[in-house]
Amino acid sequence: MDGYPPASSVPQLPDGSGPPPLASVSIGRPGPGARLLAGLRIQLIVIGAVMMREIHTRFGRHHMGYLWLFFEPMILGGCIAGVHALTGHGLPGGLDIASFYIVGYTPYYLFRSIINRSASALHANAPLFYHRQVTFLDIMIARNLLDGASVMIALLIMLGGLGAFTNHWPYDLVWMAFGITLIMLFCHGLALLIVSGTVYGTETVERLVHPFTYLTIPLTGAFYMVEWFSSEVQELFLLIPTVHMFEIIREGQFGPVVQYHYDLGYVAAWVMALNLLGMLALRAAKSRIEFN
Amino acid sequence: MLELRNLCKSYETHGKPRPVLRNVNATFWKGDAVGILGRNGAGKSTLIRVLAGIEPPTSGEIIRGMSMSWPLGFGGAVHGSITGADNARFIARIYGKPAGWVESFVEEFAELGEYFRMPVKTYSSGMHSRLAFGLSMAIDFDCYLVDEIVAVGDARFTERCRVALEERRKRSTLLMVSHQPSLMRAFCTTAAILNEGRLTFHEDLDQALAIYEAL
Repeated sequence: MDGYPPASSVPQLPDGSGPPPLASVSIGRPGPGARLLAGLRIQLIVIGAVMMREIHTRFGRHHMGYLWLFFEPMILGGCIAGVHALTGHGLPGGLDIASFYIVGYTPYYLFRSIINRSASALHANAPLFYHRQVTFLDIMIARNLLDGASVMIALLIMLGGLGAFTNHWPYDLVWMAFGITLIMLFCHGLALLIVSGTVYGTETVERLVHPFTYLTIPLTGAFYMVEWFSSEVQELFLLIPTVHMFEIIREGQFGPVVQYHYDLGYVAAWVMALNLLGMLALRAAKSRIEFN
Repeated sequence: MLELRNLCKSYETHGKPRPVLRNVNATFWKGDAVGILGRNGAGKSTLIRVLAGIEPPTSGEIIRGMSMSWPLGFGGAVHGSITGADNARFIARIYGKPAGWVESFVEEFAELGEYFRMPVKTYSSGMHSRLAFGLSMAIDFDCYLVDEIVAVGDARFTERCRVALEERRKRSTLLMVSHQPSLMRAFCTTAAILNEGRLTFHEDLDQALAIYEAL
């Protein structure tokens, strides 16, 4: 016998009473109204916990990946600003070139990151679904919220640095954050549709999604202003919802020095429609999504 | 009480539905310790996953009058890229328990030493299942769903699991799937056999094991 531990070696509280009661998550069956509230509370707790966990996996210990969040836009903004400076061309309206590309590229990074990683989002979190209270939607919300928050913080730091060196400060940060929030919500809806599509095979969906994000680079509106084009082209561009969102972000950066083109109602309709469709699709696909 | 009414579950393979569970009816009470026997591929793990609420049944009803654990298996519920301690805090948060308490409980129970603060993917399979079992013991459930967790631990750990589960038997239900008679004898008082999608109950454990052997 190699010394089995006695029963008392199972860890206990000093009084042997097990874990102390906390605001407990009820799993019983209260009335319908109370159940809705309890469900909502569980969902908030779960989303919070998943966000904490995602922070650990992304920023924890050995993961330097998120430094690219700063480097990519800074390198792009820096290089393009350098080319413009060398060739002597400015942007129409005399906008600061470095700020223009940073407020364009960083939110585009959010767009690309949410869309590109959405197909594998559930697969990467398979262990979490062993817990009944963790839903697919919770994971998507937690990840995309975290993406939105980290991009906003990165942008804030970069704009702060830029302001310190060049004295070009953002005009209205709240309006800019509103624009980024719109992109986040838009991409969230799209991500729900993409992840629902993985019932036809995760790899197939990823192969389609990645070229899509490359092809949309010139179409998102991240790197040009609607005002620069003729009115027929403008009309076409304004069919694309993200074009409006990038205009809002630029207005937040530069303020009323140039003409911006956007329609809040159009954008809101897109965001709501995509999210509604996304949630319906996820519900329909739920039992057939393979996450293991 | 946990009640299953006409529970069916089928998966689609090559466009055709393949039934795994056919009209399973069962009632489990507080204090029951039921072993569910079945060959590889009989649908034991599917049954556990449907009971745990991870997968919806194709038809039928599950009435959960008690809180159910997640399936305690080879550590499926454990995330590999974060540390054991981070896993403990995550479990604590989603089950509404104090994070510090759960963390120290699991640290003591799983006996992982300094590995407790290293990413789970660096663990051996034995350490992995010790962590997984420690996590599940930190949360008080009315019903524990066990998917052969103790099979990979060493004798000392298996005994520790048995003691921990035994202590909970007074207030909890235990449902355990396995195809190993020795585990059944160690943990369960009654048994059921899952064969061709149907679940048959046997009051007598030895009788059930004999029938199962003869299948």
